[in-house]
Amino acid sequence: MLSVKNLHASVDGKEILRGIDFEVKAGEVHAIMGPNGSGKSTLASVLAGNEKFTVTEGSATFLGQDLLAMSIEDRARAGLFLGFQYPVEIPGVTMANFMKLAVNEQRKFRGQEPLSAAEFLKLMREKSAVVELDAKLTSRAVNEGFSGGEKKKNEIFQMAMLDPKLAILDETDSGLDIDALRIVATGVTKLHTPQNATVVITHYQRLLDYIVPDVVHVLYKGRIIHSGDKTLALKLEKEGYDWLINEYKE
Amino acid sequence: MAALTDILSGFRSVGSERLRIGDDSDAVQPFVAVDSAKLRVEVAAGVSARLVVVHEKPLASSLSFLLERGAQLEVTEVFLGEAFAEVRTVQAADSSCCLTAVQLAGANVSYRIDLDGAHAASRVGGLFLAAESEHCVMELRTAHNVPDCTSDSLMKGIAGGNAVGEFRGLVYVAPDAQRTDARQQSRNILLSETARIDAKPQLEIYADDVKCSHGATVGQMDAEAILYMRQRGLSLAQARRLQIEGFAGDVVRRCGIGELGEALMEAVARKMETM
Repeated sequence: MLSVKNLHASVDGKEILRGIDFEVKAGEVHAIMGPNGSGKSTLASVLAGNEKFTVTEGSATFLGQDLLAMSIEDRARAGLFLGFQYPVEIPGVTMANFMKLAVNEQRKFRGQEPLSAAEFLKLMREKSAVVELDAKLTSRAVNEGFSGGEKKKNEIFQMAMLDPKLAILDETDSGLDIDALRIVATGVTKLHTPQNATVVITHYQRLLDYIVPDVVHVLYKGRIIHSGDKTLALKLEKEGYDWLINEYKE
Repeated sequence: MAALTDILSGFRSVGSERLRIGDDSDAVQPFVAVDSAKLRVEVAAGVSARLVVVHEKPLASSLSFLLERGAQLEVTEVFLGEAFAEVRTVQAADSSCCLTAVQLAGANVSYRIDLDGAHAASRVGGLFLAAESEHCVMELRTAHNVPDCTSDSLMKGIAGGNAVGEFRGLVYVAPDAQRTDARQQSRNILLSETARIDAKPQLEIYADDVKCSHGATVGQMDAEAILYMRQRGLSLAQARRLQIEGFAGDVVRRCGIGELGEALMEAVARKMETM
């Protein structure tokens, strides 16, 4: 589904990603871990198409298409979803209005008819239940005045609405209490099918108690220095990153 | 502008230079005045009324609204042409006046509001959209002449191209106007490097027991919000439009006539497409 080869990217002339290689297949869950400043969020932003970053080398193929040649919105319409670490507030724009536009724009891209008002409302009700999102929030402005937990639930709600092929969740677990974490993680698990894939970027093992990864990658100084199965996350939780970093230096 | 014209044609037209609204039956259907060079509206004690003022031609006009004790008036003023308007509002005790001004062309409007009776309340929402080489001016002077009055203004401006926008606000609080509660906000967005908006909210306070706040911001479109919306599949143009609608919406929807507010939002969106 996603194939990233030797990906280099920089911001303001400073190289952040220094040769990333990894491959995600349908039905898989990947976790990307690593110390602060290793480039995890940059990787998510570059794959989503954030124009702040410049790709200087390498390639990324998504469902057979050259991902790096596509605009942000075309990547989204092709089925790539980014759950933001810091979801943005959009004053004066209601969630319902925003989602209706987004869902129908993506349907149009896939040659589908727009949803009727009734179909859309039904979809919103169904999907808000997935993350136990208070239905009232959908009539409020996007993320405005939402609590930290509500913002993250709202990201997963949008993921449920848009039904992406590949979801990249950038530190969706940060700042969540244990209940919100359970709800968010359970939501992500419910949405997982053999046809889609999820990449979770996280600092902590605790999210991976709920979302069990097939592969765990460790990112350090803009490179994946180690990949392993789910037991790697447990080992990192216990022993930290130093043993890997030392190994990498040798 | 069909939708707007249709809605206005359903309202009752003001023919003369002087209108006295004496009972509540008039509140059911709003009044509408189009291109009045001079208009004086009096709202009798305890009466509620709604008025729409439309400036289509590039004319100068002088309007005054007098609210007697406990009267309520809601005015929506729409500028479709390069008009020049001076609007004076005088409010007696317990009266409340809500003004919503939307400038869709390079107009110049100056409001002067006198709160002359205790517990009078003023609420003003203003929006201008300045495109190309248009010049929009909004001036608002609110005078708290007696104690215990409240005023709340939210003025927003959007300028693109080489346009210039100006907001000048003044809240005056007279020496004995204690327990005044006055809020004044100006929020502005520049769509181009060559557009300019000057926002000057000012306070002149001579009483000591008051709650007054004022603030002004001039910024660009929120790049993070645009990115967020595009990541969900909206095009750049849609994301910009949605953001501007969100920005303008809370002023325009202050207009208490629902269908008119929606028609104005459509007009705002259409103008935005040219900016």
